[in-house]
Amino acid sequence: MKSVFLGIIIALVASSSLLYWTQPDRDSPIPVLYWITQDDEVKRETIVLFKEWLAEKNLPQVDIKIDNTNQGVMKKLTQGLAGVGSDIMDVYGNEIELFGSSGMLMDVTETAKELGFSPDATYPALRSDVLHEGKQYGFPRNAAAAMYWINKDTFARYGIEEPPHRWTWDEFERIGKQFVAAANPPGTRDRIYFMKPASSAVTMQEFRRGMGLSAYNETMTECILDDPRSVEVYRRVYRWVIELQLIPTIADASAMTADSAIPGGATFHLFAVGRYAMLNLPRWALIRLRPLGKLPLRVIEPPNTGFSNIVFGCGLISAYTNTKYPEETARFMQFLTSESFNLLVARSGDSLPPVPKYTQSEEFLRPPEHPEEWQAGEVFSSAAPEIGIPTSRSPFVQTTVFVRIESQVQQSLLAGRLTPEEAAKTQADRTNKEILITLTEDPKKKVLYAELQEVQKKIDELKAANLPIPREWITNPFHLRYYEHKGMLTEEDAS
Amino acid sequence: MSYRSKSRSLLVGLMFLLPNILGFLAFILVPLVLSFVLSFTDWDVLRHNIFSDDPLRFTGLDNFVRLFTHPEFWQYLGNTFFMMLGLPFAIAGSLCAALLLTRASKKRHQVKPALIIATIIMVVCGLGLLSGGMPEHQVWLFFGILAAMTLVAGVMTGGVVYRTLFYLPNFTAGVATFVLWKKMYNPNTGPVNQAVAPVLDGFSAWVNSMPGLFAYGLPILAGIFAIGIAWWQVRRLRIAWDLSEAGIVSIIAGIISLLVPLGLCLTWFGVGPIIALLVAATCFLAIYLWLVNRPQPWGKPKTKDKGLGTEVALAMVLIPVLLAVAASLVVGPTLPAAAVTGIEAPDWLGNYYWAKPALMIMGLWAAIGSNNMVLYLAGLSNISPELYEAADMDGATSSQRFWHITWPQLAPVTFFIAIMSVIGGLQGGFEMARVMTQGGPAGSTTTLGYFIFIEGFETGRLGYASAVAWVLFALVFGLSVFNFRYGNRHVAD
Repeated sequence: MKSVFLGIIIALVASSSLLYWTQPDRDSPIPVLYWITQDDEVKRETIVLFKEWLAEKNLPQVDIKIDNTNQGVMKKLTQGLAGVGSDIMDVYGNEIELFGSSGMLMDVTETAKELGFSPDATYPALRSDVLHEGKQYGFPRNAAAAMYWINKDTFARYGIEEPPHRWTWDEFERIGKQFVAAANPPGTRDRIYFMKPASSAVTMQEFRRGMGLSAYNETMTECILDDPRSVEVYRRVYRWVIELQLIPTIADASAMTADSAIPGGATFHLFAVGRYAMLNLPRWALIRLRPLGKLPLRVIEPPNTGFSNIVFGCGLISAYTNTKYPEETARFMQFLTSESFNLLVARSGDSLPPVPKYTQSEEFLRPPEHPEEWQAGEVFSSAAPEIGIPTSRSPFVQTTVFVRIESQVQQSLLAGRLTPEEAAKTQADRTNKEILITLTEDPKKKVLYAELQEVQKKIDELKAANLPIPREWITNPFHLRYYEHKGMLTEEDAS
Repeated sequence: MSYRSKSRSLLVGLMFLLPNILGFLAFILVPLVLSFVLSFTDWDVLRHNIFSDDPLRFTGLDNFVRLFTHPEFWQYLGNTFFMMLGLPFAIAGSLCAALLLTRASKKRHQVKPALIIATIIMVVCGLGLLSGGMPEHQVWLFFGILAAMTLVAGVMTGGVVYRTLFYLPNFTAGVATFVLWKKMYNPNTGPVNQAVAPVLDGFSAWVNSMPGLFAYGLPILAGIFAIGIAWWQVRRLRIAWDLSEAGIVSIIAGIISLLVPLGLCLTWFGVGPIIALLVAATCFLAIYLWLVNRPQPWGKPKTKDKGLGTEVALAMVLIPVLLAVAASLVVGPTLPAAAVTGIEAPDWLGNYYWAKPALMIMGLWAAIGSNNMVLYLAGLSNISPELYEAADMDGATSSQRFWHITWPQLAPVTFFIAIMSVIGGLQGGFEMARVMTQGGPAGSTTTLGYFIFIEGFETGRLGYASAVAWVLFALVFGLSVFNFRYGNRHVAD
């Protein structure tokens, strides 16, 4: 027995040593960076182009290996906080708050200025997405704004007029009612829907903003959704989803996806065959739509009630703060501003290139092999800078928590357990309670909150007196754009 | 043995045990103690980690105070208890399965009748499928063929196939099972709704032909049934009180098991919670005062909680049954209107009210053929045949044999199963809800286990999540102590 025991120990030690000595990057003469991202053709081409770019610039060569098994938010966070994070990683939307606050991302503010990938190199509207608490933690790999994709064949099939480029909620409802009535005659088993939203969070934010309302006040110190405009948004959502069934519920959409024979790309397949007349997605939808054939596509703005807007965000490339190769990871971020990378984004059908000027390139606007996409290219290149606004993220409540509350409240509304009035109040109350918890737990945030509350008081006074508000007082990206549109901003500090 | 050789033996023994001891310390004891300490701190992974120098703050009972004032906590606790209402049925199902399997293995002479029945079923189902061109809504015919084939295989192998089939859910990985059930529950193409749809169509036609029967008849029938159950329970409590077989605490528990469904039913009818509570309290007082003012000719029971175990076990059956009856009271009057356009099969996982029952049905399926069934099979094989022979000689019926021999002899097994099921029920539900519903719709399938995951791993508040975990532990511990105190642990009990 003793020899068996000893044998097992020896075998374990030997296997561990073997694994250690045969790691892929041990024999590599150049640094090997690990990149948490999707393993697809575009990413592989990105790596090839990066190596070519390094060679052109006479910079030392670097190898990059894709790690597509650790893309989950919690996996990235757990590994990062355990000290074994990947050198570079894709960071989406709300993740910047989590990773930035935790300290696991490398602060590249100074390096970015030096190497030319500071926030000035990308869209001005993305500033609040690229910076977290004043520090830069990465550079956009792409920039996304969800628009409405129309499959023209689907509308033609039922003889329904296509929606105009800019339209109102009433028009959405009128055309939607006509469409579902024509597409779903009595006895229809598999319902055909008018629109499939990107996510309820995006849709709700756009609808609220259309009425001049944000989830938070100007300094993002309070959730202000207990408001008649928020009630109206909930009322419309209930009407469109439950009463008129223009939009599927999450469960309906999930069931339709399960019915489809194409896992992963089911939504696009359903759009191509006409089960959804419209999709609300960014330009990257082309990556999934192109393999389905040359669809007659058109892109329009989401419906609004006065203030046209779309949610504009980005996918960042960030570096792990404990990476062994800080210079090489910074070079990779610098590469994201290069022409070769930006044209790759434009060519591949991904979202907008990170550097705005490339949205005017032929590859983006008029890809020769895809004339059916030319209208979409025009719309995306103009709409994102014109009406794109980033998500409003309060420093006092995690956006993931806000989205979870919103989703629960919306589901309760759709289940008939809350009225629109109760839904609006519940969402505001629960979010404000989360803000209070943050203030109780985090003394640093409490100091910031007190300062911002002072500013908010002054803003409220100016609003009451119908006077313009100094731009630098406002931290909510929506209010900055909305007040600018309304002529309510001033460059001077009134204090 | 010399001192030196003893020490050597001890050392060798310890070396063998060391990996296990280290594993226990590293993965159980240390995390357990740490989580207890953490539950009194504000540990947030975003602020307290290797990259941050924010000191960990001791917050006393703040996490617990916040927890008990968190409305979602009560909703999720309610969800957890609601899901546990399926436990008595799961235990009863396991026992039934074990009894059936025991009978199947004993009755090999029934091969011929089984073959005849199976052949008839297969021919009928096969002809049905052929004549209908195998449309989706006739999926139940396919299930019929499967059932017939199982019957044949089971009888031919003396029950071995049955045992394997019943135990199959235990071999399958949880997530795979959940994904499979998610597909089965698909409202459009899932076999569950494909099988239910024709039944509902027939039922709709029936309701349309006799709307009055369902609008008035069903609620009246349900009302009579509910009154009957209530009368039976009160009468049972009266007898137990008169014979000093139930203490005052047991009587209270027995009355509450009637009034919880009453209160809930009133709220379903739109009565405000305060009025519902008042009505329930008035009924409670009336029954309580009537019972406790009765004379007890045999003197007072030895303890105030005498018979509490029986009352609680009975309540776990009575409450779901009465809730089902109350649901018929509410649903009955709405049926004729719903039947006009045809009653649709439920959206099992997408509907707030169906999601929990859907998960419970799946849990029931998994629990019937689980380890509980194997334990009951072992328990049944341990019962002495002499007891049954003696009962046969006394002319006992099958029912008497079960209630007076099988059930008491299985008491230790049932006790163990009840303890483990309650613990599993309180801690469980996470994987199932994560895969099938993501805790929705509107948090209707979020259990306490899921809540710990949300707070700990989605929001990063590990201190708060630890507090939830320790509250869950306190519940598990409390219920286990209750089971030990009042459960029937011994054959002689």
